Amino acid sequence: MKELVTYLVSGIALGSSFALIGSGFVVVHRVTRVVNFAQGSIAVVGGMLSATLLGGRLPHGVAEPAAVAICGVVGLTVGFLALGRRGTPPLISLIVTLGVSMLISAAIIWLWGQDPVSPPGLDGSATLLGATVERQRLLVVGATVLAFAALALFFSRSYVGKALTASASNPFAARMVGIDVRRMGLLAFALAGMLGGLAGVLVAPTNAVSFYSDLPLALSGFAAAVFGGLVSPLRTLVGGLGLGIAGQLTAGYLNGSYQTEVALLLMLVIMIARSSTFVHEEAK
Amino acid sequence: MLHIDDLVVRYGSAVAIDGLSLHVEAGEMVALVGPNGAGKSTLINTVTGLLSPASGSVRCEGRVAQVPEGRQMFADMTVEDNLLLGGWSIRNRDLSEVFDLLPDLAGMRRRKAGRLSGGQQQMVAVGRALMARPDLLAIDELSLGLAPLVVAELAGHLRVLNRERGTAVLLVEQEVGLAFDVCARACVLEAGRVVASGPSASVAKSDAVRRAYFGDLGQEEAGQATMTEAVT
Amino acid sequence: MIRRIPPKAYLTALAGAAALVAPLVMNDLTFLMRMVLAAIVVTGLSLLMGYAGQASLGHGAFVAAGALTVALGTTRMGLPPLAVLLAAPFVAGAFALVVGPPLLRLRGHYLAFGTLALLLIVQTAMSAFDALGGAFGISGIPPFGVGNSIFVGQLPYVYLALGCLGLVLVLTHRIVHSRFGRGVRAFAGSETAAGSAGVPVMRSKVAIFAISGMYAGLAGALSAFFTPYVSSDSFPAVESFTYVIMAVVGGLGTVWGGVAGAVLVSTLLQVLNTVSSQPGLPPTTGPIMQYATYGALLVLALLFMPRGVVPTLDGAFDRLAARRRAGEPA
Repeated sequence: MKELVTYLVSGIALGSSFALIGSGFVVVHRVTRVVNFAQGSIAVVGGMLSATLLGGRLPHGVAEPAAVAICGVVGLTVGFLALGRRGTPPLISLIVTLGVSMLISAAIIWLWGQDPVSPPGLDGSATLLGATVERQRLLVVGATVLAFAALALFFSRSYVGKALTASASNPFAARMVGIDVRRMGLLAFALAGMLGGLAGVLVAPTNAVSFYSDLPLALSGFAAAVFGGLVSPLRTLVGGLGLGIAGQLTAGYLNGSYQTEVALLLMLVIMIARSSTFVHEEAK
Repeated sequence: MLHIDDLVVRYGSAVAIDGLSLHVEAGEMVALVGPNGAGKSTLINTVTGLLSPASGSVRCEGRVAQVPEGRQMFADMTVEDNLLLGGWSIRNRDLSEVFDLLPDLAGMRRRKAGRLSGGQQQMVAVGRALMARPDLLAIDELSLGLAPLVVAELAGHLRVLNRERGTAVLLVEQEVGLAFDVCARACVLEAGRVVASGPSASVAKSDAVRRAYFGDLGQEEAGQATMTEAVT
Repeated sequence: MIRRIPPKAYLTALAGAAALVAPLVMNDLTFLMRMVLAAIVVTGLSLLMGYAGQASLGHGAFVAAGALTVALGTTRMGLPPLAVLLAAPFVAGAFALVVGPPLLRLRGHYLAFGTLALLLIVQTAMSAFDALGGAFGISGIPPFGVGNSIFVGQLPYVYLALGCLGLVLVLTHRIVHSRFGRGVRAFAGSETAAGSAGVPVMRSKVAIFAISGMYAGLAGALSAFFTPYVSSDSFPAVESFTYVIMAVVGGLGTVWGGVAGAVLVSTLLQVLNTVSSQPGLPPTTGPIMQYATYGALLVLALLFMPRGVVPTLDGAFDRLAARRRAGEPA
């Protein structure tokens, strides 16, 4: 029982970061139809930045938001390149973001080297249902809940959020009422950068990140987003948590090295099972 | 208030609007009729800035808003959100004016636009356009796919709008009778040009309209007829 | 009258001559071999991406299938080298045929991520199961040979690979100019249109996927003989990305795009490699340069030469030829 609680909490914490990265995929894809491959690299940058800023004597609570904000700028830059030319087909944009993620990898090695980095997080642990749980993991879960609530409010209540939703729902009509759809796409990239950065900031204290972590993070996030058909942030949250828990249970009870593959297999199964709906959604 | 001079619009190498000139005065209601592919929708989309001219000019003194063909709802958003976004260009978030003119909309404000009937959607589309407080309302196919009673109601709203606010209307319409009934002036478009223009009553009797809607002339003959008319 | 030889035939002949001479004059045959193998894979990938409008970010999975065929066939089953070399493309092609239908139901991004996931799963399977090499990989692959003549040194492998590349190019040329090729190109443009014109879209997609898988398997088999060691680390994801970069740089949907992309990108990387291994530079220079080059190449190529090198040059060449013809007295 104790074991199970530990696995569940760490699974939910890990799944939260998948969900944050995945929601970044969703936010961008909804508005631009582009899948932003650099989403994982941005999460790595977030983790690295918070380590550097904390090392530069910025206090907790300042360094982390600063890192997230800078990741927003990185996301915006990715958007500028990916949407660079008008009429670039989404598949080509995907390959551009693949290129950008490699550029980010180069920058990460240049700035931080090749070794994994882990910033200090919340110290100590708490007791939950008899199991000892690191407080940092609880922080991850809490921050993710807050981030998703903020995201939901932003999309449903704010004027700009509604304009983003409108651009996703009907780009022609959005243009007609005077919404600059391209600018909305860039905004989506910036937002996705912040979400990815937040994921990196939260996950790095318990799971050190290196330039090499970008691919697993991107794939896990994409897998979570696939649960939401690449359009629903809420279902992405559910998908991320499910993948995180499934991964940790596999790691705990079967074999630690297979958790990523379990996530990937689940993703493939869901993608293929739902492929007819995807075709339908793309046709819209 | 709307000045279109020698307008040419192309899709790639195909010419959709071919040297068209048209002027609309403030508060005027003008019907645009003509066969499929005459360039009516292209003209509307160029007036509202969605398409750019290859040459010639489109000048409008005041704001233009569009009621597009197919209504183009933000389907998964509420009626209220659809209306609010209509005011995006001038950041107008006050719904009361539109609800005064189209009171039915107030009752469905929380419903998803995609779930509404065609007539209701068309009313949302008109309301959404009005949120931009336009001086000219460009409507592409008001009646398409709607029941006659619904169309009559919508037309009534347009007349009120025009009378009370002085909003000019450019109405593209397949239903010629409706178009001539609502608008005092009418233009007939054919192959990207205006081939007849004037008071609706006299245009209704002209050869151009008969040719466009009632005569089933072959390509060659139609071409000849246009030539003749251009000469005379 | 002398029949005019089309100018592009000269270029083809020139490329062939260069290929025959290069192994004799170059001293880094490992580099040349890797380049030729990449060209084989990328020709198939270019076919898939250009003609079928599908992207694969995990083509290494099929290279791995070919390499495993050779490694397991020679070391575990004692099969003759020629037999496994011939079998490898078919094993990889069959693998593509099995995974193709479900994966190809996905389109665009989903296929890209699906193939990448496939590669990672293949990697894990290779390191997890001893039958596929396990943690230590498979070593002791015998040299290639037919009967009593056995390859000695690197040179014969390079020529064998070049021969295979030639074969692949001829085959690709025939596919592209066949009825089938035209049909496949049609559905890259519009699936609905091709479907209604009677092109069996799904079957053609799977077929082209299998062909590109076969090319990759062939390259994998050659590399297994050349190295001669196969493990789960032999096919990193970044190599599969490199194939995509080469395909994009060279130009999708051309017979020669794969070769051009492989030559250009490999050469550029080799130059940078030499530069970054100069004494005095920090050890991270290499990976930084590599990633930066990959990234910059992709972004710049797609933004400024979206059709790739070969179609762009081809267009310029045609314009030049047309101008010269126009200048000649009639």
